[in-house]
Amino acid sequence: MAKKQISKEFNLQAMRKLFLEYIERGKVKSDIILPPDTVKIDNLNRKETLHRLYKLVDDVLEKIYKSGRPSIELPSRSGTNIIWDEENDLLLLGTQIVEKQFHTLTSVADITRLMRVLEVVNELLNEDIHATKREVFYTDVNLFLEQKNSDKSIEDVASMLYTTRNSTHVVAAPKGTCVGRLRIRDKSDIIDLEGLGSGGWTISPMLDNIDIIESDAEFILVIEKDAAMMRLAEARFWRKYPCILLTAQGVGNVAVRMFLKRLSKELTLPVFALVDADPYGMYIYSVYLRGSKRLSYESPFLATPNIKLLGLLTRDLDKYKIPQEVRIPMTAQDIKRSKELLQEGYVLKNKEWADDIRLSLKLKIKAEIQSLSAHGFQFLTDEYLPEKLTTGDWIG
Amino acid sequence: MKTFKMKNGGVVQLADKNKMEEWPIELPLLFIEYIKDKLLDSYGSAKKEVEKYLDEILKEVAIPRLISVLEGEDNEEIVLALTRIEEISKKNAEMAKPISKYLDDLLKRNNKQIVKLAKKISGNFAKAERKKELAKKRNVMRDKEKLFLEGKINGEEYAKARLEYLTLKE
Repeated sequence: MAKKQISKEFNLQAMRKLFLEYIERGKVKSDIILPPDTVKIDNLNRKETLHRLYKLVDDVLEKIYKSGRPSIELPSRSGTNIIWDEENDLLLLGTQIVEKQFHTLTSVADITRLMRVLEVVNELLNEDIHATKREVFYTDVNLFLEQKNSDKSIEDVASMLYTTRNSTHVVAAPKGTCVGRLRIRDKSDIIDLEGLGSGGWTISPMLDNIDIIESDAEFILVIEKDAAMMRLAEARFWRKYPCILLTAQGVGNVAVRMFLKRLSKELTLPVFALVDADPYGMYIYSVYLRGSKRLSYESPFLATPNIKLLGLLTRDLDKYKIPQEVRIPMTAQDIKRSKELLQEGYVLKNKEWADDIRLSLKLKIKAEIQSLSAHGFQFLTDEYLPEKLTTGDWIG
Repeated sequence: MKTFKMKNGGVVQLADKNKMEEWPIELPLLFIEYIKDKLLDSYGSAKKEVEKYLDEILKEVAIPRLISVLEGEDNEEIVLALTRIEEISKKNAEMAKPISKYLDDLLKRNNKQIVKLAKKISGNFAKAERKKELAKKRNVMRDKEKLFLEGKINGEEYAKARLEYLTLKE
């Protein structure tokens, strides 16, 4: 039987205060000045990317004419070249360079794949069309053998051109959805994200065609899970509390993270994350916050350093009297991952976050967002979220 | 984004007009129409300020960009722009009015689609003009009726005004 709901009024004053501070300041913490020992990546338009590509090919040709032994230089993406920039709280690529020779047996397969991807990128840019990573793999299955090889070459090409992967017109398959107080344009079509039903708008990976045209939202809520998104969408949460809801169904892919970054930067809105109180939820939050190691060269375009961890926090479990029977014991793997998280500089820097992870380790307990429905299906939308946004009970 | 604050504490943000320079040619006009039709009434105390901003976009971005296309030689682009202008002139002739001085030239072009669209736009302008005239005459007629009932004008003068009004209405 559904629990009886007590109707309370919440004014979201803590969130509003933050929002007005951002609006007054005119920008959020997203204009990043990179430290000197890191690689600078530019988000380029089609013409600029083509220009860089031609320049790179010209350099290779020149080496062929001069020495007959061409090579390509690109930033190293190995673990030793990934730097945590404490100032900006971002994972960035260092200045180590690797050289790939055309004439050595060890790199010949690699360089052939690289040149094939360059050829594909050239075609995509010239035609002004986009392709998914899977499509690129299918352009030459015999050469790539496995998709992980073509994926690696795609990322190498982007870093070689010192640009984002999206600028090369190679995109991820659409994954996330967005709904709420937002109007965008996709080429010449105006799309109202309030009027698309509870399914929302599938975030287009072709973000170069997208522009934000209007919004009266006051905050953005990033949700880990579809089920929670469905609950909020069904309640039309954004009508009572002016916001934009976004989910990536797990870890955000490039398009979702880039779109979130643009929303946060252009609309100067506070961003909150709602994830499970477990190590995977914390990892998802960290990827939005400071980027992933694999795509560290794109971090300035993908990370949202002002994102706050709204919930679900381990400390919330007692505060909101979440019953013991919906709390889940941590596995050995969960404990290992939580301990690993506590080794990370960016976690230790945030005392409240580290304390909450320590609490989960002490209790050896994790919980999903859905555990809140032990208090009724509307508890999440009518009490938990509004109360936390009113009192400012978040981390970050 | 251009930010507008409302008295109730809310905030509305609209795309910056400089950004619109990169948009497809017809989009700024569609944007203005979209905001006026669907959202403007919900902006409360910010409504007037937003209206002023939309006018700025119209004068500084939307119309100059359309004109640059209409003055050019790319028929495909002209057809695309005229299709959108025709849609807008049907709903709100005043908004599309600034291109009226280019219609004569467009009607002389050697392209059937351009001529057809230019004729349609001309027709929409004429219709809108007649509507405006009629509204004006209706007000005059109301005054004449009042004066006639008060005995301040004679039947002949009233009948003349009535005839003018009915002719225009038909």
